[in-house]
Amino acid sequence: MRASMTSVLAFARDLPAGVMARLSIQERIAIIFTVLAIGGAATTVIAIVWLGPPLTDFLGANQPLVRFVVAATAILMLTVPTAFVLIYLELKVIARMNLRVGPNRVGPWGSAMSVIHGLKVLSKEDFAPTGADFTVFTLAPVVTYMASVMTLLVIPFAPGLIGQDLNIGLLYFFAMSGLTVVGLLMAGWSSFNKYSLLGGLRSAAQMISYEVPLTLSVVGVILLAGTMSLNSIVLAQSGSFLDWFVFKQPLAWLIFFIAATAEANRTPLDMTEADSEIVAGFATEYSGMRFGFFFFAEYVNVFIVSALATTLFFGGWTAPFQWPWTYNLNWFQPLSFGFFGWLGILLAGLLLGSYFFGLLARLVGGRTWGLWPSVTMGLLVDLVVMVGLIGLAGFVAFNWVQGLVWFMAKTYFFVIVFVWMRATLPRVRVDQLMSFAWKWLLPASLLNLFVTATAVVLLNR
Amino acid sequence: MDRSLKARLEARLGSQLRGSVYQRGDETEIRVDPGSVPEVLTVLHDSVDLHFEILADLAGVDTGEVMQVVYHLWSPMTSDWLRVIADGISREDPRTPSATFIWTGAEWLEREAYDMFGIVFEGNRDLRRIFMPPDYTSFPLRKDFLLPDDAARSPGAGVRHVERAHVPADLADDPAAGIRRAPVS
Amino acid sequence: MATAAGAAHPWATSPSGKSTAGRQSTDDPRITLDRQVGAGLYEPIPPYPTRTEREGEFYSLGDGEMFLNVGPHHPATHGVLRLVLKLSGEQIVDVDPVLGYLHRGVEKICENSDYYHVIDQVDPLEYISSLFQEWAAVLSFEKLMDVRVPRRAEYIRVLSGELLRVASHTLYMGFLALDLGGLTPILYGFIERDEIVEMLAALTGARMLFNYYRIGGVNGDLNHEFMSRLGDWMSRAARQTEASAGLLNENEIFVRRTRGVGKMDRETALRFGVTGGNLRAAGVPFDVRRAHPYSVYPELEFNIPTRQEGDSLARYLIRVDEVRESIKIIDQCLHGMPDGPIMARLPRLLRPRPGRAWGACEGPRGMMGVYSISDGSDQPFRFRIHDPSFVNLQTVPTLLPGNLLADTMAIVASLDPVMGGIDK
Repeated sequence: MRASMTSVLAFARDLPAGVMARLSIQERIAIIFTVLAIGGAATTVIAIVWLGPPLTDFLGANQPLVRFVVAATAILMLTVPTAFVLIYLELKVIARMNLRVGPNRVGPWGSAMSVIHGLKVLSKEDFAPTGADFTVFTLAPVVTYMASVMTLLVIPFAPGLIGQDLNIGLLYFFAMSGLTVVGLLMAGWSSFNKYSLLGGLRSAAQMISYEVPLTLSVVGVILLAGTMSLNSIVLAQSGSFLDWFVFKQPLAWLIFFIAATAEANRTPLDMTEADSEIVAGFATEYSGMRFGFFFFAEYVNVFIVSALATTLFFGGWTAPFQWPWTYNLNWFQPLSFGFFGWLGILLAGLLLGSYFFGLLARLVGGRTWGLWPSVTMGLLVDLVVMVGLIGLAGFVAFNWVQGLVWFMAKTYFFVIVFVWMRATLPRVRVDQLMSFAWKWLLPASLLNLFVTATAVVLLNR
Repeated sequence: MDRSLKARLEARLGSQLRGSVYQRGDETEIRVDPGSVPEVLTVLHDSVDLHFEILADLAGVDTGEVMQVVYHLWSPMTSDWLRVIADGISREDPRTPSATFIWTGAEWLEREAYDMFGIVFEGNRDLRRIFMPPDYTSFPLRKDFLLPDDAARSPGAGVRHVERAHVPADLADDPAAGIRRAPVS
Repeated sequence: MATAAGAAHPWATSPSGKSTAGRQSTDDPRITLDRQVGAGLYEPIPPYPTRTEREGEFYSLGDGEMFLNVGPHHPATHGVLRLVLKLSGEQIVDVDPVLGYLHRGVEKICENSDYYHVIDQVDPLEYISSLFQEWAAVLSFEKLMDVRVPRRAEYIRVLSGELLRVASHTLYMGFLALDLGGLTPILYGFIERDEIVEMLAALTGARMLFNYYRIGGVNGDLNHEFMSRLGDWMSRAARQTEASAGLLNENEIFVRRTRGVGKMDRETALRFGVTGGNLRAAGVPFDVRRAHPYSVYPELEFNIPTRQEGDSLARYLIRVDEVRESIKIIDQCLHGMPDGPIMARLPRLLRPRPGRAWGACEGPRGMMGVYSISDGSDQPFRFRIHDPSFVNLQTVPTLLPGNLLADTMAIVASLDPVMGGIDK
């Protein structure tokens, strides 16, 4: 009895190690995963039951804080897909302008290319060059990326969709985007490489020089709108598209566009990363995820300056024209359908739609399509149609969907203009770039400022 | 073939020419001593009726017995190419004056001749190797250049079977090594 | 990995008994490595004591100057070229080009090859326009052997040569734009070059290293595919050239980057022995096709475009003009193509009489010359190649100082160097 107890205890003590040793890797991973999942679920249930009520009370009492945290998190999470879309857009559009095809293997029309780039960048070896200042070397991309991302907090994407409606929003924007210079200088200095040093110094010189005309050119807009809050600037342009500030401030728009190209380090003003002269400029010694941060920061920067251009000069989320016919959508109350109502609609849409479009595919394909290909094609087409219908419904029904669609359309238009310029134009030499900023853009923006101020004073009499 | 060129050359350079002016096809050839190269080139470049303003080529030649430096020149005054052969440079200690005082472009051409043959051009400000690594110890285009001997000094010595073959390093005793059939002048 | 018993690696013992132990490159005192970084100033240029006057002058740093190695690995040097720049901030004070990264010993190899093989060996020198090296070589050999080339072969040589000149210049324009930052013109240039190169592939069998000319003629006659492709191309050539040239000519940024940059005046060009488009951009109308005609060029009508400014823009515009002239020459060749054989009758084993011969032709970059010495055997005794890019690149230490780092690319690209030819 005692011997058997001892042996049972010994067996039980040895069980985990013995058993684990006899399992394969996959089985071990499965067991650990299951244990963690069960444990995690149990912990979550306990936490909800025990901590739930006090937490909801706290959150309910501090709604602005909750809103801010959610908004900031959402913005941070949305920068990466934005960068992905922009990278893909750039590759494809430049390829088409070069009479090439661009990525077309990974995913439909190569659209998964950015994801693959992201995974590749994550999987690279993590090293710093000998002699580099490791802390600064690692922090530089973080600073650059964060400075770019923080500016998104004040951009009004749609009526009600704004991170934080600061009443000094524009000032905050320029302050944050100026921090990218710090990141670039950190990168250039800490890399222990003369090319990086040259690139970093060039970038600092360029970005500082172009910040002056950039900020001066939007002061006219501030005067016209009377406020620095970006939301109010957009509201001041509501109405028809003739109310947009681009028609009232054409010179400011031109200066802003050129200075924004320099701020975003885009060709023709991309001396910073002139990769035919100083290899990759400040990013010469960077590889792996550190370089990924710089890469993402650059594309987010492009998105940001396009978004700002849209907000300040092209009416932000306002539509260029109002829908001429009035319509009454009071009968359309989507929220009253309920959960099961929506589930039923979705299932019906999927099944019936797939069947319908599958039949259509068979008809169009001349009855050569088998069962499963036509079902798959039907499903795909149905998904696209349903998403389109839902989008249309949302667009028509919800104000913020409308605003978001118009905002994104205008922003991406400017993004494509930036990509177009990169495909077409050669680079401006660094001293020509600097003299252009100081000798031409700065006086022009000052001139614009004086004229606007005079006009505002005279017209307000 | 420009007969008048032959006459003009003999008139200008008579005493410095070794042998007669040789003409064949569209080329005229003169031979000079290495020591008189600066004078000859100056006369060819500066005189109004010769006016050889373009240096087409500067080559080193190892005939097996002597070394030569061969200049090719072009002038708008004649329809022939002129070849100036500075003949009789010794193979043990090849030295000749440099042409960089007239044509700056001769600098790299002389560097190449030095690199390939070991001909030292006195007066060239930058006589260092141009193609081979700076610590290379042979002159590849010489007729007594032997690759295995050279490879034996490299860190990768003896890797390939060709270099494993036992070849005597000193070939001065073998008159047939590297020398061609018809004597080249 | 231990292979033989007792040997750590296969090359541990050498036939001369010298030990390779302790002969790692890391033991070489002239090479500074990472471990010496913390020990003070880390300046790997130059790793050895200076040998010549000019080297000493270059490698001594003044106040506020630094060395920047635009190294053999660089996106914009045309091949493996190392330029050691001495910079004061962004301004270039001095340049020391270091060559030899692509040196293949072509001249020595040709001394051990028979005369047919030499033509194949000489192709990869200026690989972008390889027919011109072949042409210079066969010109020299034909003088050695007193071979008279049939007229049809001469016309075919001119036709293929001028086509390749257009292809090379198109690529030149693309590379110049690429080095200045424009991503598109090079791809358009490659499309045009691809058409021409496919044409030549139909004629010669290869797209880049053609191995087409032979001593006494060419390797294959014109065929139907080549003629149809050529006809297609000719009907579009003039318009396409104008379009691609217009992409850059009228681009304000390109013009401002190249006008007045890298000015080479007439005297400098003549002193350096520069030939080709670079010399003609400096005001000297020297073109081997007119100065010392060869082949059937005396019968063809074409102009020699010459410009006086000598800056990068002039060098670029000269090439655009030369493309137009080449199209004219191709037109004349097509209309005046005689019938007849394409190869002279020669013995299979070529043994020229002992002697010397110099042959030169006008390549896209300048005068390509070959000096060959024969000793009566079936291999050349000396095969000297004069490459135009070699002398063109020599002007870089004179043109570059005083300009900014960004102009390095504009100037070097406008000289059109091809490292294969420079390094032989």
